Amino acid sequence: MVFTPVNLLLCFLGVLLGTLVGVLPGLGPTAAIALLLPNTFHLSPVGAIIMLAGIYYGAMYGGSTTSILVNIPGEAASVVTTLDGYQMALKGRAGPALGIAAFGSFIAGTISVMGLMLVAPPLAKFALAFGPPEYFSLMLMGILILIYLASGSILKALMMAVLGLLISTIGMDSISGVQRLTFGIIELSDGVGLIPVIMGLFGVAEVISNVEQGIKQELVTSKVRDLLPSLQDWKDSFLPIIRGGFLGFFLGVLPGPAPVISAFSSYALEKKLSKHPEKFGTGVIEGVAGPEAANNSATGGAFIPLFTLGIPANSVIAILLGAFMIHGIQPGPLLISQHPQIFWGTVISMYVGNMMLIILNLPLIGLWVKLLRVPYPVLFPLILVFCVVGVYSLNYSFVEVGLMIGFGVLGYIGRKFRLEMAPLVLALVIGPMMEQNLRLSLVISQGSPWIFIEHPISASFFALSLFLLLSPLIPWIGGKRKKLQEKVEGEDI
Amino acid sequence: MPKTQSWYDRIAALFFFGVGLFFALYARRVEIGSWNEPGPGFLPFWAGTTLCVMAVGLFVGSLRRAGTLVPPFFPQIDSWKRVLVTFLAMVVYMQILNLVGFTIATFIFVGFLVKFIFPQTWTRSIIVAAFSALCARLLFINLLKTQLPRGFVGF
Repeated sequence: MVFTPVNLLLCFLGVLLGTLVGVLPGLGPTAAIALLLPNTFHLSPVGAIIMLAGIYYGAMYGGSTTSILVNIPGEAASVVTTLDGYQMALKGRAGPALGIAAFGSFIAGTISVMGLMLVAPPLAKFALAFGPPEYFSLMLMGILILIYLASGSILKALMMAVLGLLISTIGMDSISGVQRLTFGIIELSDGVGLIPVIMGLFGVAEVISNVEQGIKQELVTSKVRDLLPSLQDWKDSFLPIIRGGFLGFFLGVLPGPAPVISAFSSYALEKKLSKHPEKFGTGVIEGVAGPEAANNSATGGAFIPLFTLGIPANSVIAILLGAFMIHGIQPGPLLISQHPQIFWGTVISMYVGNMMLIILNLPLIGLWVKLLRVPYPVLFPLILVFCVVGVYSLNYSFVEVGLMIGFGVLGYIGRKFRLEMAPLVLALVIGPMMEQNLRLSLVISQGSPWIFIEHPISASFFALSLFLLLSPLIPWIGGKRKKLQEKVEGEDI
Repeated sequence: MPKTQSWYDRIAALFFFGVGLFFALYARRVEIGSWNEPGPGFLPFWAGTTLCVMAVGLFVGSLRRAGTLVPPFFPQIDSWKRVLVTFLAMVVYMQILNLVGFTIATFIFVGFLVKFIFPQTWTRSIIVAAFSALCARLLFINLLKTQLPRGFVGF
């Protein structure tokens, strides 16, 4: 299915476009997928998902290019790559750093694809036993885990999730057909669109934040050569790549900013296992290989909750969930049995995409370097044009463009107030499902909220949710969370 | 004058309280229903109420602690001008798209931002704007066949 010429082309385009946007400083995978999502609407569902998955890991890889070459992480997961990657570039070893990042991503991507193939089908079978109460509790738990891992105040993150839930109620009620908060605006009948929200919160807000700071660009002047790592580089990097691959996959399955956490965890692990930990931060190749492998592998792991439970693990996967829905596909336990072509198509395309990343990026690194030389004052108006056209072309509606600008203002001001945007987006995406399952559960139980406790699976999800909410009050766990927060502080999850 | 995080939290609490109250009140107009039979206003009502309660919690909590000093809202003296002008330019771009069409509107939008946000020379601004508008037109209208407004000049 994947190996049709059209799908291979889409996979290639996804990886290329993802890398292109990922290379641009300030635009991470979330903004990349949001910006490019409208271009997939006219494709078949399989083709669209293949292309979007390609954009996702392409952007992840593109992010590491800017980390290594200009010390600006293209996205949050590449922050740790700047530590040794940029130092390697300063020593004239940018080529091997970029090369090992590409090869490491490929090897770790292979590990994660194999893990996805092995874990997802049995987990989906287990999830078939879920009813409305289990789904509601599970989605609640998903949001709470994301909130728990959010940097900053849990209360404020919770409030953002409730805000997202409220915004998700705008539009026609799917059960009664009643219009809610549409004020006669036809475009709002289908609810507040995910794309204008994402583009506003992440795309426009990101650009405005850069404009505000008067971004100073470090131009790449040196030539990048010798991309193939030497035998010694391979000896130093092989085990870190393998360890990073497994670590990233297992952390990726957990909800939250897995690529970010796994990259930091891999760096810490490699430093701990190294015979010369003092050299970390001065340009050692293990410091690039491990984290780059881990963050790529985590992207594969993050697909597991989506494919088996229909629950997005982070904001990027939340957009992908939105994309599935736009194409009329409901991710969840039935996805693998009802739409095997989507599941296997995506899995295989990830593998093919990883291969394309190597073929594509090694010869095109020179082009990316040239792109990094485009001055930001010239680049940012073009990104804004892209945002406007992207949103307008969804439904040819200026209302949605206005919504995007409005959410851009919210995203920009929200950053100043240290408000997390990821819980809002996640709640907005799964809000309609949560509402439907909540109301169905209450109807089934004839109004008894105890239904969520009486069902064992639901009760266990609820217990975990409660534990997460109350855990900051337990000093030991609160301390652990604080440490975790410090790692992902200020990053877009 | 630098503000504390508590000050920001108080403002955020007021915003959230307003939003929660609005949804809770609006939910009454579309039937909240009962626990046995929840109506379309059930979730907006309870979620809105919960948001109000949490906003009160945030407000009270912010009054109790002194709070750390945070960087100024705008990092540079002229930052606010750049932010405001960029947002306004987007609004104007949206308004003139229908009137003058995508290509000319994009030329004006890009040219304006390049010239006035991080000031460049007139020549550079015009060249960048013209090149961007033409490339955008080729990409979106000619290549991707996106239906974008052509305006009164039909371009």
